[in-house]
Amino acid sequence: MPELPLWLVWVIKAAVIYGALLSVAGLMSLAERKVSAWMQYRIGPNRVGPFGLLQPLADGVKFMFKEELVPAGANPFLFRIAPALAALPAMLAVAVIPFAGEIELFGQRTTLSVTDLPISSLYVLAVGGLGIYGIILGGWSSNSKYSLLGSLRASAQMVSYELSLILSILAVVALSGSLDLRVIADAQQADAALWNIARAPLAFLLFVVCMFAETNRHPFDFAESEPELVGGFHTEYSAMRFALFFLGEYCAMTVMSCLATVLFLAGGAIPFWPDAPWWAELASFLVKMSAFLFLYLWVRWTLPRFRFDQLMRLGWKVLLPLALFNLFATAALMAAGVL
Amino acid sequence: MAETLFYALALAAVGFAVGVISARSPMLSVLSLLGAFVCLALVYLLAGFQFLAGAQVLVYAGAIMVLFLFVVMLLNLADLSKVAEHPTRVLGVHRVALAGGSAALLGVLALLASRRIPDTAADTAMLARGFDELEPIAVALFSRYLLPFEAASLLLLATMVAVLVLAKRARAPQGPREQAQAVDAHGDARGDASDAARELEGAGLR
Repeated sequence: MPELPLWLVWVIKAAVIYGALLSVAGLMSLAERKVSAWMQYRIGPNRVGPFGLLQPLADGVKFMFKEELVPAGANPFLFRIAPALAALPAMLAVAVIPFAGEIELFGQRTTLSVTDLPISSLYVLAVGGLGIYGIILGGWSSNSKYSLLGSLRASAQMVSYELSLILSILAVVALSGSLDLRVIADAQQADAALWNIARAPLAFLLFVVCMFAETNRHPFDFAESEPELVGGFHTEYSAMRFALFFLGEYCAMTVMSCLATVLFLAGGAIPFWPDAPWWAELASFLVKMSAFLFLYLWVRWTLPRFRFDQLMRLGWKVLLPLALFNLFATAALMAAGVL
Repeated sequence: MAETLFYALALAAVGFAVGVISARSPMLSVLSLLGAFVCLALVYLLAGFQFLAGAQVLVYAGAIMVLFLFVVMLLNLADLSKVAEHPTRVLGVHRVALAGGSAALLGVLALLASRRIPDTAADTAMLARGFDELEPIAVALFSRYLLPFEAASLLLLATMVAVLVLAKRARAPQGPREQAQAVDAHGDARGDASDAARELEGAGLR
């Protein structure tokens, strides 16, 4: 088979990776219900398809046919555009995640990521960080006090935890000497002792905590916090626009899990199998990513929600000093030649 | 192609910048500023400054504008709708300021257009190495420009502290207008803002 033009390879890779992301997001909506049922000794959805596997499709069809409401007094333009602004950034951020190294398929050689940037970790943070606009604008434009309070909480929380998140990633960047996610993953490839989870355990802990806050998930889901705010920022939304907020949340969780896999678990590397073929690497990547996604669900159905002032205290008085100390300690240990 | 893109982005950036000062709603004003920042980041990207573009989006669009929006959401929305009912009044002093400002801007633009800024050896070296690498930026920032860099950060910190000191006043309502606000804080939007303010106080943010 002749070499395909570069743009066609890009289009194919983009279609495959975005298709996979949306499928994972859909499956997560099912997994959330299945896992919660399992942890609460219930059965969970099992009517649509084998083991309820087609439930996300049924949900999608249902959302499509629901009536769409725009509340009186809402800003119609911002209200309509906000769900898309919430879902889009996470979908864009996945473009630089290196799922596997160089692959050869049907005579084509390419890398398994939509694109490779020299500043890809910065790109994920910059683009992923824009997701908050959807939540802020959605809540503000609804003209409802519950929505507004949800948005306010979301913006305060995400800005606060972004600092610690970036500082924890900076320690990893310092260890690898590059902002490129592929270089960061490859630097840990050789030996499991080189994985950043072993070299920078505190950074890993900080990253995982901030990851929950950044995606507005339990135990930090104050933006929606049902007992206090009805539904939080999406109280007034219905039909497909409501579903888009969830799609965005699941996509953001998936991207965060991918990022954690690349930064701390060496991407697709398999211990004691240094020259694994690309499909094994891809499988190992997906297993690690799924472990983080399961952690999200596990924590959600295990821990109670924080209180908002506790959240702020944790973010500014515990995590931020710890993250600064971690970066300083990592740099000092590197200068001393230990790391 | 690149030139067309540049002009389109530059025009869009100027359009957004005009939107910032002409929009009636503060929310639209902030969103216009966001648009201007994003256009600027794309211009950086077009020039090959990947790191700068990423940092621009991360810092300005991702963090600073979120704080702007945060403040706008706390504004008293009922008062703002009253402002919007009145046509904008342009006073004489504003006209003078506008004319003077425009003349100064045109002068600077003419000055910039009339002369070419010569490339220094360091610039040429950086151009040759490309802007994707962080090393030249880091070396320049932490050696040659260390003092201005630290001075700028100190200035920003001092400004922040000064603003906090100036803004921290007595809590009790003082003028008759503020007292009236405190009494009839039952309107929809107004209730929202004061609820939100109360919650923030609870969270120790104010």
